[in-house]
Amino acid sequence: MKIENNQSRIIKDTIGKILLYLASALSVMTLVVIIGFVFVKGLPGINIDFLTRQWQAKTTFINVELKNTEDTNLSDSYIASLGAHVEQNEDGYIAVTKLEKDSVLKDSKNLKGAAYEVKVDDVITKVLATDTKNITLEELNKQFNDAAMNGETLKLKVTRPGGGIKPMVVSTLYIILLSLAIAAPIGILSALFLTEYAKRGKILVVIQFAIQMLAGIPSIIYGLFGMLVFVQMLKMQYSILAGALTLSILLLPTIISTTSEALKAIPKGYRESSLGLGATKLQTNFKIVLPNALPGILVAIILSIGRIVGESAALIWTAGTIAQIPSSLTGNTASAATLTTKLYQLLKEEGDVASACSIAVVIIVLIWVLNLLSKWITRRFTVKN
Amino acid sequence: MENNVKFQVRDLDLYYGDFQALKKINMDIMKNQITAFIGPSGCGKSTFLKTINRMNDLIEGVRIDGTIHMDGVNIYKDIDVINLRSRVGMVFQQPNPFPMSIYDNVAYGPRIHGIKKKSQLDEIVEKSLRQAAIWEEVKDKLKKNAQAVSGGQQQRICIARTLAVGPEVILMDEPTSALDPISTLKIEDLAEELKDKYTIIIVTHNMQQASRISDKTAFFLHGEVVEYGETSQIFNNPKEQKTEDYITGRFG
Repeated sequence: MKIENNQSRIIKDTIGKILLYLASALSVMTLVVIIGFVFVKGLPGINIDFLTRQWQAKTTFINVELKNTEDTNLSDSYIASLGAHVEQNEDGYIAVTKLEKDSVLKDSKNLKGAAYEVKVDDVITKVLATDTKNITLEELNKQFNDAAMNGETLKLKVTRPGGGIKPMVVSTLYIILLSLAIAAPIGILSALFLTEYAKRGKILVVIQFAIQMLAGIPSIIYGLFGMLVFVQMLKMQYSILAGALTLSILLLPTIISTTSEALKAIPKGYRESSLGLGATKLQTNFKIVLPNALPGILVAIILSIGRIVGESAALIWTAGTIAQIPSSLTGNTASAATLTTKLYQLLKEEGDVASACSIAVVIIVLIWVLNLLSKWITRRFTVKN
Repeated sequence: MENNVKFQVRDLDLYYGDFQALKKINMDIMKNQITAFIGPSGCGKSTFLKTINRMNDLIEGVRIDGTIHMDGVNIYKDIDVINLRSRVGMVFQQPNPFPMSIYDNVAYGPRIHGIKKKSQLDEIVEKSLRQAAIWEEVKDKLKKNAQAVSGGQQQRICIARTLAVGPEVILMDEPTSALDPISTLKIEDLAEELKDKYTIIIVTHNMQQASRISDKTAFFLHGEVVEYGETSQIFNNPKEQKTEDYITGRFG
């Protein structure tokens, strides 16, 4: 056989190879650029304060009964009558840096008479009517000591600084727990029914088709449904319960299909042996089948957590975008932004790109951890048969 | 003689959908004997075995005509399937202990039947493992995963698991086909010991095995029982030409 056009074939081969390299390089680069961009913009904003503080600064007026002490000298920025170490912060106000055990600030009262515990990092912005901006510590100490000697009660304006994502972290956690508490049992039991009980036939085909369809529906449509049904019709308002219910529906298809796969992978022999010993089907399912599907179910749950953390569209119109730690399941104190919905809202309404990127970094790291965890579980518990 | 009959099978037909897998089976299976079913693959011997503890109920599209009576009771009509299966235990082809400890495997049956007391379970587990001739080998590792021991040991654990429920009959579906020769011998010895207390029915591909351990043998072909009789007679003096062809290795 005569080999023709060898030259041109080599050229074609080379061009083909270059195209392949280019395509894969481009996709890898895109990923690197995106992640890099987010990290470069977001990492500087991440510190302990960012992770642990409330989102919004909160100002409270409190009454403090000062302690009359002999120790009136200001040493090491310690104000004895307050039982607190203080310092001037960047804005020139007085920040509490350390509280003694018996500090009077700890059992101060707000204007309604309810207890208000001043914490480290809180900023005293006013003493009586005097702004504390650029006041010297000596002056402040003197004012407190004088008041203490006269047995006076001083009114302070205290600001708890914001700028942290604690409410979103907590809300995300709440929504994860709530959604899973609803979706996991329903999903796992449905999967059990579909794989172990449902008779093969048209109905099963229809159900499976429906589940596949549900898995493909864009999450904003679940959000729309959740808003109309849970938020409005059932009068839950924007609340974590409305959000969690919406997410549970969204999670069901994933949980059902992942669990079904895990159930199908269990050797038929286990079921036969169990039934052969006179176990009922229910006993077999709960003592043999489900326990052996546990790794698969765990993976389903971890995937679901990932989905919840990453979800925004289904939550914006059901759980709202308020950065607060919800104190109830429904109603106006239950509205809560998760990390992702806050990120969306920051970009859309406040244009705060730096904070948005910092939140993005937290989300990315969280998702990475979850993915690693699910891989580890799969490897660790894969039953060898 | 009538009292020694454990199972009375009359005109048993079995269909998988349109396919008839068993045709007019008539057979009396004796108490405290080992009955062997032999025949080529697909002849219906395993299918027939599974009708005896109604494992075929699990397969969709199975239809059964005719009757099987155990001690005079129709097992398809007058007895609860859960009850039946605890009286008629089964050992499968592949050793298939559950992925749990040896102890939990054997205790599984008693537990699902409601025995909770530790001392009682301990007693049943030890007794069953002794009966299955594996107590000495595993008594120090009862907490070990049952799938971590050898195939032959796994199969004896499965037998112990079956015995723990306290059955009257043990069905064995090619119990040694996945095992090495030494393990096979141990299972065979075990079967012979167990027949004093239990009625044993064994499906086997291995004709030497059938001739070694069974009292009666049934030869199946194409869903029919070609010949059923004393093992010595089947192997030494078969009445049917087909039986002779099979046991002399002309087909199958």
